[in-house]
Amino acid sequence: MLLQTELARRPTRGIPRRCGAGLLAALLLGAAQLCSAAPPATLVVDAPPPAAPPPQAAAPAAAAPAAAPAEGAADTRGLDQDIQGLKKDVVDLNKDLFILEEELLFPANTQVAVFLSMDVGEFFALDSVQLKIDQKEVINYLYTPREVEALLKGGVQRLYVGNLKVGPHELVAFFNGKGPNDRPYKRGASLRFEKAVGAKYLELKIDDRQRKLEPEFAIKDWE
Amino acid sequence: MWRSLSRAGALLRGCMAVLACAGAGGALADPPYRLLGQPAPDFALHAVSGVNARVSEHRGEVVVLSFWSSRCTPCRTQLSMLNRSFVTYQSAGLAMFGVGVDDDPKRALEFAHSAAVGFPMLLDPEKGVARSYEVDNLPMTVLIDRAGNVRYVLRDYSPANDTLYLQELRALLNE
Repeated sequence: MLLQTELARRPTRGIPRRCGAGLLAALLLGAAQLCSAAPPATLVVDAPPPAAPPPQAAAPAAAAPAAAPAEGAADTRGLDQDIQGLKKDVVDLNKDLFILEEELLFPANTQVAVFLSMDVGEFFALDSVQLKIDQKEVINYLYTPREVEALLKGGVQRLYVGNLKVGPHELVAFFNGKGPNDRPYKRGASLRFEKAVGAKYLELKIDDRQRKLEPEFAIKDWE
Repeated sequence: MWRSLSRAGALLRGCMAVLACAGAGGALADPPYRLLGQPAPDFALHAVSGVNARVSEHRGEVVVLSFWSSRCTPCRTQLSMLNRSFVTYQSAGLAMFGVGVDDDPKRALEFAHSAAVGFPMLLDPEKGVARSYEVDNLPMTVLIDRAGNVRYVLRDYSPANDTLYLQELRALLNE
């Protein structure tokens, strides 16, 4: 589950496509350089210990065994740092690839994203949400107690991301769970919206209506 | 006339021999389990106890999935064996789920309650999870490592398999 604390965050803001491809190439090059740089470090560890000086004097011969472990420890530390650096590069590369993949799969001009947020939750325990766009089911999401807890702490979940063509559309959401007095509770909310050129962001909001002692479900269009 | 009849008989015998060979070959070798070494498909299901469970929330633990049905006789025996291993290794980072693939939820509920196991029993009446895990026999047990990859599958149950299962489970828990 992707919980995002910042709803207005644009997934496409990260890197422009051309720039992203350039960065990707640079990262790949960097990773390749690191990989090519790694073997000598490994070789240092695998290499046999340096030859001991000839036994001309007793003092240097006694100092050599003490120096060898310290040198080995320094090599190991350097190797650890190289590995950590490589791991960080891989994580960064994975992040950039994820952003690029999103940009390719869901271009900004056709993208529709639906988020879900929940406030208080005293009168409603969320179990699942079914989402239909233009009378076609696009997602049916089942929530675990941990996910509900994260939502109640203020998390915002990106429930669905897809593509829609420009024009009028209808979004219908069905909320299943337990309502007041622990009874099964199912409510729906719908919204007709106009998809223009550019990404569309919608938010499903679950609030407690204190006056009526019941939950309230709404869909908000983020212009 | 007799010649054509005997020719037809020979053809029939040939076809039967081919079919018998194919059947024997199928019985001898199970098709390879394609998910081995692959990331385990994520899912969330309703549990009999009423709390939903999602398998990806147990990343970092060894997860055992056991697919069962109320019509499957060895499933009950296997579930009790799995329950013993769950009690033993739960504190070592073992999560276990029984996944019922019954069409009839009432029968599945009865079976799940009567099985009396300590781990969550999930219901998959639409069999979406069973399809994603390519369940082709019951009971079937899938072992998922701490990184979320499918590592071992038991497509049948016999007491002889217990040792194999425990060996694999201990190896995964020790990783």
